[in-house]
Amino acid sequence: MKGTNIVKSVFTYIDDLMDAVKAIKEKGLDFTVYSPTYVEEVVEACDDKRSPVAIITFIGAASGLIFGFSLAILTSMDWPLRVGAKEIAAIPSFVVVGYECTILFGAIFTLNAILFFCKLPDLFRRPGYDPRFSDDKFGLIVGVENSNSEQVMELLKSFKPDEVEIKNGL
Amino acid sequence: MAENKQNIENNPVTYSEVTETVLNMLHKPSFGWYIQLAICISLAILGGVCWSFQIRHGMGMSGLSHPIMWGVYITNFVFWVGIAHSGTLISAVLYLFRAKFRQPIYRLAEAMTVFAVMTAGLFPIIHVGRPWFAYWLMPYPNERALWPNFKSPLLWDVFAISTYFSVSTMFFIVGLIPDIASARDKAVSKFRKILYSITSLGWKGNHKQYKHYTAAYLLFAALATPLVISVHSVVSWDFAMSIVPGWHATIFPPYFVAGAIFSGVAMVITLVIPLRKIFKLERIITDTHFDAMCKLILLTSGIVTYAYATEFYVAWFSNNSFERFQFWFRPFGDFQLAFWGMTFCNCMAPLILWYKPFRTNLVVLFIMSIIINIGMWLERFNIIFTSLAREYSPAAWGGYNFSWVEIGLTIGAFGWFGMWMTLFIKFFPAIAIMEVKEVIEPPRRKEIEHH
Repeated sequence: MKGTNIVKSVFTYIDDLMDAVKAIKEKGLDFTVYSPTYVEEVVEACDDKRSPVAIITFIGAASGLIFGFSLAILTSMDWPLRVGAKEIAAIPSFVVVGYECTILFGAIFTLNAILFFCKLPDLFRRPGYDPRFSDDKFGLIVGVENSNSEQVMELLKSFKPDEVEIKNGL
Repeated sequence: MAENKQNIENNPVTYSEVTETVLNMLHKPSFGWYIQLAICISLAILGGVCWSFQIRHGMGMSGLSHPIMWGVYITNFVFWVGIAHSGTLISAVLYLFRAKFRQPIYRLAEAMTVFAVMTAGLFPIIHVGRPWFAYWLMPYPNERALWPNFKSPLLWDVFAISTYFSVSTMFFIVGLIPDIASARDKAVSKFRKILYSITSLGWKGNHKQYKHYTAAYLLFAALATPLVISVHSVVSWDFAMSIVPGWHATIFPPYFVAGAIFSGVAMVITLVIPLRKIFKLERIITDTHFDAMCKLILLTSGIVTYAYATEFYVAWFSNNSFERFQFWFRPFGDFQLAFWGMTFCNCMAPLILWYKPFRTNLVVLFIMSIIINIGMWLERFNIIFTSLAREYSPAAWGGYNFSWVEIGLTIGAFGWFGMWMTLFIKFFPAIAIMEVKEVIEPPRRKEIEHH
């Protein structure tokens, strides 16, 4: 988060939060919104770029498909043994292995994408985080410089938060 | 937060109430919980003792003998894989369909999936007789340059089950992360604080995390959905790819998938009813949820009944004497009790659910869910035993006797499964806090002021 301080505000109502987010965005300040659950309108208002996770999943699934078929074909050719009157590299028989590896690799890549993009694990760094944000409150944390901390706090107060405070040092 | 109130299935629930109700389940265990855990562990130990006898004295300790070389162990394997299925159906397929009734029950269903696959996976290992060589099923570079036969449906099954277990576990853990963070923020004891801090991976629930998380979760659901179809299809191919009468049928994959969902939903009901009562979850798991699950049972019961009838029709229409004999043997032969038990439990008994008051009567539902699972166990018994007992040559016909080792291992499997479920509901949120909140309309000042 940019800035030397943060202004932390806690909201009960989502419409108040949305108004505050809009105002902060207009000011061009760096901010983070915390919520007890996924609320589509909040996430879309904060960040309208699409998540790149799908690309990672696709790369994983494609590599799984290649891996699955390659494993079955190459190992069959490594020790050529005709089984059940089928070709040595009997592609229809290998569809299940290719299919399962596609899904497995896609899932593993997706899991790693979550960890990477969500910056997990992140056990200690919690600037402005409040345990109430996982319960029933919404949080708006704004990164500010010393010089405009008061000004941002006054701005946020106008949106009727439950509380607002300035925290020094990030 | 009185003003937080909104609707969840026509029942006003608030964000904080959801957190509190679910996390109350994690409070200090009651005496009853310890008793339940002790019973489950004892049964699991019984299974372990039986297995150790079989390992020490060999496969002769089981009732397996020519011609029935696939017996109770494979029946149990198919049964438990089937139980696992509805978990993924509820968590992934219903997520893609945006079915709102899934939220309060999907976590339990997912846990059931993971633990049921852990149980199912034991049986092929028990069945192979020398469990210390079970890793030979996996392809790995070895000094003899030997590779498994990728043309065998049994190897397809190894890939299908291990993929299913891996993906279900990942999906389960990913879903748990935000809820463990809620538990972390409310934890009082130091042990739980540390446990949840580590297992939540420091999740904070900010907008950037939600953006990637929900995108990934959707993709996980999209990846897990074909697994629901593929895994039991592959299990059915263990049978259908052979030329044994009664097994060699193209209807097997959809028939097995429907049967798996049928038994799995019944198992979810068996687990949810006592939990709802014990932990007072009536405001989160409502009659609407049971009604929806019953409709799913009715649908899949109908598909299974249709598949049973089709098998008989195809046997008659094929004019193949071996097929015809097999489908005469099932209802009138040595194992007819299994056939009629299966027909009663899976086709006839669920018909009472067409009557709406029974769909919300929890006593009726609990009994019905157990009847269905007995029926589904008998279905697998019926498929596996009768076909092997009466293959082509009368000289190779035979019977089957259960041994105490097989009975002990079957009971032990329930103990093993129950042990994991019992531990899970006391240590991790058994209801998805974040997703239940997602279906609640967030609190708005304008609406409160309007009222």
